[in-house]
Amino acid sequence: MASRKEGSGAAGGGFGSAKGKGKAAAAGDSAVKQVQIDGLVVLKIIKHYQEEGQGNEVVQGVLLGLVVDDRLEITNCFPFPQHTEDDADFDEVQYQMEMMRSLRHVNIDHLHVGWYQSTYYGSFVTRALLDSQFSYQHAIEESVVLIYDPIKTAQGSLSLKAYRLTPKLMEVCKEKDFSPEALKKANIAYENMFEEVPIVIKNSYLINVMLWELEKKSAVADRHELLSLASSNHLGKSLQLLMDRVDEMSQDIVKYNTYLRNVSKQQQQKHQYQQRRQQENIQRQSRGEPPLPEEDINKLFKPPQPPPRMESLLIAGQINTYCQNIKEFNAQNLGKLFMAQALQDYNN
Amino acid sequence: MSRFFTTGSDSESESSASGDETAPKAAGGPYSKPLLLSEDEEDTKRVVRSARDKRYEELTNLIRSIRNAMKIRDVSRCLEEFELLGRAWAKAKGVVDREGVPRFYLRILADLEDYLNELWEDKEGKKKMNKNNAKALSSLRQKLRKYNRDYEGQIAAYRQNPEQSDEDEEKSRRDSEGSGSSSGAEDDAGNFLKRRERDEPRSRYKESESEPESESDEDWGDSASESDSESDEDDGKFTSLASKFLKKDEERRGAERRREEKAKKKLERKSRREEEEEEEEGGEWEKVKGGVPLIKEKPKMFAKGTEITVGLVMKKLNEILQARGKKGTDRAAQIELLQHLVAVAHEHQLGVPLELKIKFNIVASLYDYNPNLAAYMKAELWQRCLGCIEELLELLFAHPEIFVGENVLEESENLSNPEQPFRVRGCVLTLVERMDEEFTKIMQNTDPHSQEYVEHLKDEARVCGIIGRLQRYLQAKGSPEELCRVYLLRVLHTYYKFDYAAARRRQVRPRPQEKEDEEKEKQEEEEEEEDSEALMERLCRFVYAKDRTDRIRTCAILCHIYHHALHSRWYRARDLMLMSHLQDNIQHADPPVQILYNRTMVQLGICAFRQGLIKDAHNALLDIQSSGRAKELLGQGLLLRSLQERNAEQEKVEKRRQVPFHMHVNLELLECVYLVAAMLLEIPYMAAHEFDARRRMISKQFHHQLRVGERQPLLGPPESMREHVVAASKAMKTGDWRRCHRFVVNEKMNGKVWDLFPEADQVRAMLVRKIQEESLRTYLFTYSSVYDSISMETLAAMFELDLPTVHGIISKMIINEELMASLDQPTATVMMHRTEPTATQNLALQLAEKLGNLVENNERVLDQRQGAYGGYFRDQKDGGYRKGDGYLRRGGFRQERGNY
Repeated sequence: MASRKEGSGAAGGGFGSAKGKGKAAAAGDSAVKQVQIDGLVVLKIIKHYQEEGQGNEVVQGVLLGLVVDDRLEITNCFPFPQHTEDDADFDEVQYQMEMMRSLRHVNIDHLHVGWYQSTYYGSFVTRALLDSQFSYQHAIEESVVLIYDPIKTAQGSLSLKAYRLTPKLMEVCKEKDFSPEALKKANIAYENMFEEVPIVIKNSYLINVMLWELEKKSAVADRHELLSLASSNHLGKSLQLLMDRVDEMSQDIVKYNTYLRNVSKQQQQKHQYQQRRQQENIQRQSRGEPPLPEEDINKLFKPPQPPPRMESLLIAGQINTYCQNIKEFNAQNLGKLFMAQALQDYNN
Repeated sequence: MSRFFTTGSDSESESSASGDETAPKAAGGPYSKPLLLSEDEEDTKRVVRSARDKRYEELTNLIRSIRNAMKIRDVSRCLEEFELLGRAWAKAKGVVDREGVPRFYLRILADLEDYLNELWEDKEGKKKMNKNNAKALSSLRQKLRKYNRDYEGQIAAYRQNPEQSDEDEEKSRRDSEGSGSSSGAEDDAGNFLKRRERDEPRSRYKESESEPESESDEDWGDSASESDSESDEDDGKFTSLASKFLKKDEERRGAERRREEKAKKKLERKSRREEEEEEEEGGEWEKVKGGVPLIKEKPKMFAKGTEITVGLVMKKLNEILQARGKKGTDRAAQIELLQHLVAVAHEHQLGVPLELKIKFNIVASLYDYNPNLAAYMKAELWQRCLGCIEELLELLFAHPEIFVGENVLEESENLSNPEQPFRVRGCVLTLVERMDEEFTKIMQNTDPHSQEYVEHLKDEARVCGIIGRLQRYLQAKGSPEELCRVYLLRVLHTYYKFDYAAARRRQVRPRPQEKEDEEKEKQEEEEEEEDSEALMERLCRFVYAKDRTDRIRTCAILCHIYHHALHSRWYRARDLMLMSHLQDNIQHADPPVQILYNRTMVQLGICAFRQGLIKDAHNALLDIQSSGRAKELLGQGLLLRSLQERNAEQEKVEKRRQVPFHMHVNLELLECVYLVAAMLLEIPYMAAHEFDARRRMISKQFHHQLRVGERQPLLGPPESMREHVVAASKAMKTGDWRRCHRFVVNEKMNGKVWDLFPEADQVRAMLVRKIQEESLRTYLFTYSSVYDSISMETLAAMFELDLPTVHGIISKMIINEELMASLDQPTATVMMHRTEPTATQNLALQLAEKLGNLVENNERVLDQRQGAYGGYFRDQKDGGYRKGDGYLRRGGFRQERGNY
């Protein structure tokens, strides 16, 4: 309790300067170098998911906090209510404003610094996330998105990650031009779309002390799930998802391929047309007639619509995430297996 | 009040009530202008007279046509005319109001009522009536009842003494004449008008002191019927006014009668024509034919007393034929004339050839009767046509010396000269072919679930008989081409019928019998008509050998195959199908042949199924069933969905292609056979390839049914055939063959499907066996991973199969590498090898495959690039790919990107 008051007091004091500094930092590479999350926020997010999310349904909410130098401190958060079909006219903005106003009344940080979202087996690299994160970052430089993976957490290791869009991607999104050329020019690939910001979870000293005390009192925590050897379920699900993405990717490539073929075909036609025109003009000249008027060749040959490439970039990013996940999971599992083997050998 | 005086005579109380409209008028000006009114009335009457006649003529015309319609029992026509009559009556209202309801009108109302009642009671007749007529009957009856209510009294009066009418009129005329003279008019009878003019005012004045009475009389003239005036007379009211009225009436009546007579003559002519157009033969109709037309026709045909010779008849025939096809020619009358001509020719013994010639023409004009291709013959015409053709054939058989051919020229015809061989132009074959077409048309246009259809179907035997006789006739004298055609007709009438007699014989034959019996049987067999198999064989072989048009041969082959398939001669049917190579070029054939082809394929599939050749059955049925348009493809009905795609014209064409109902292939049976075959193939396949990424479907339709079944929120016990099959499939998936069997073969399914086979029990036995085998395979595929080893005896007990069969099935599976196992001979067990990948492994395999796809697609993008930048990297890449050296390729890629 005390620590929170302290924190918020400090935040109130340093508000103006922090903002100024944040602006100055934005001129450099990135506005935020580190995210510091209050224990309270983590617990609140976990609680939110536990209460409202199930299966592959995601829960979302707003992060509140402040910027100190190049460090983003997240001190509180509140959830978005789950949407249902009935309240289609629910006004999110209105809700947010009111929520923040109410929070200010009880003296809680009310600077909007981003949002959080849960994920299902690490599938979060989607167009929706990109769009909303872009709008956040566009409005508030320092915003981050926190991705909480409840499944991994359930397996025994808290998984919470903060992401930001890279400045490059921000520019591309601002242009709203996702054609192959534009993306090529921006030199963007799936690796440099998002940047992960390191996270520090910070508790007040009092809480730390209490935790130490509690740990001593409680018996050996029943954290067996970390040692579970069963792997096929998780792995299977991940593989299934990965396969779906690969399929999508395949389709996307086929689409792109068709586009390329069309372009080259048209190029050929254009070329032929020009040649014919030229020959005709030469003939006309020899006959003393005026040459045919030059027509706009682009009008005759409408270039085919290039397929937007952002999707495939996102899919690539998603595949990457899956792969990372699977790799990580397998590494852990292998470790566990070796451990188990060693244990068995020892026992025998 | 004036009315009360006159209505003393009770018979017309009703009528005056019905003539209510006139009452106010009468009440309005009885005292004010009796004189004027009478003058006026006189005037108007004189004007009206012609109008009256016109109206009455109109009415009588209509009444006449109603009577005609009644005679020929054409109720719908009656209804039409009756409505017209009602309208004409309303028009004539003014006249009628003055004159009273004419007797003839009442008569027609009464007669019509009687007639309708009679029809209504005649339940049998009503059943036979076509829909239009029946509808018309009920509506006409209702209308008439309503209508007659207004004239109830008069009709009742008329009914009391229907005979009176004419007599009365006669009498009244005489009476009035008498009274006219008695009234003291010196003018002679010829000078009616003058006399009346003078007479009337006088009588008026005479009557004017008894004002109410005269007024009432006036009222009378307006509203009461003729009969009323007569009854009035009977009452003894011999007032001069009355006499005046009567006179006038009488005179008018005389004129009218004369006119009517004339009109009648005219009408007679007209109505006769109409009647002929109706072309129905009732008892009444005969009378007319015997009476009026003969009088008229005879003089038209041949003057009395002229000697009728062949030449004369020929001339007449040509005369009649010339009118053929012309606009305005009465086709029915033509047939009549020709019919009559035959009678004349027969009567005068002009020789068979001439009769033949005319008969040919009669049949031809019978076909011509319907100008529209789509319309079909009426039953009467059809019967007559059949009769005619039969007669024709009889004549031909009786006189084999007559040469008949379509290529005989008109000029070279020889009808009368007995020294030379007779030659008649005409082609029986064409006529019979046309007859067959008409028969098909009639069948197409009859509701297949009605008694009518059955009635029509009975004619099938007659048609077959005619074809058979024609065949015999042509076998004696026809050319091979003609023979081919008639054989095809015969084949088309034979191929779809299951030969029960032959099937029975075949069942009996295998039994070991004593020799005598056998011989006897043989004799019996010979005595019997040759069985359809041999018949088909003989006819088709002839067609194969002799036919020169492709179409007849194609049809014959298809029919032959169909017949083989129908009688479960699978191998012969299949071989014939394969030899004919019809699959390759059937799409170039015309739609009816294609429909026949489809029918044949379907029958072939069903035959294969009966023989237990599931795969063949499935393949044969796949094309028809997978489209979901089996109904349309088999010509057994139009699809509703494509209604907007085709216009009315196309629809008509399609309708003409429909196969008559009695030749239909049962669609439910077809679908069931297909689905069960698909189930027996698909379920083990699905079990075997559960994790296969590139698993393809054997039968899309079956999968569709499965999915439909899965989508059901609540799964009750199966009702329809499809649900049964789906439920059976589910049972089979778990290897539960007993349940599967119960779903496929049960009471409901027996009734719906299996009992439709001629050898139902055999099919059911085959099905059980197949289900057991396939269930065993499915069981092994699904649960092999659970077992380390399994005893074959257990399996045999589980699936109630004998050990060798189980052994065979498992061995086959092992050889085909479907089951990773080996047989342990001494213990008779199957040892599983467990080389099947686990779920995760399977997933990984799938992923690898997909990634392969992805890479391939990616390569293609690369190819595009290289296409633009020259082929340098291509060789390198190809080489790299073959070696499987990924790094090389990547290097190439990087390099290329660096180029930008």
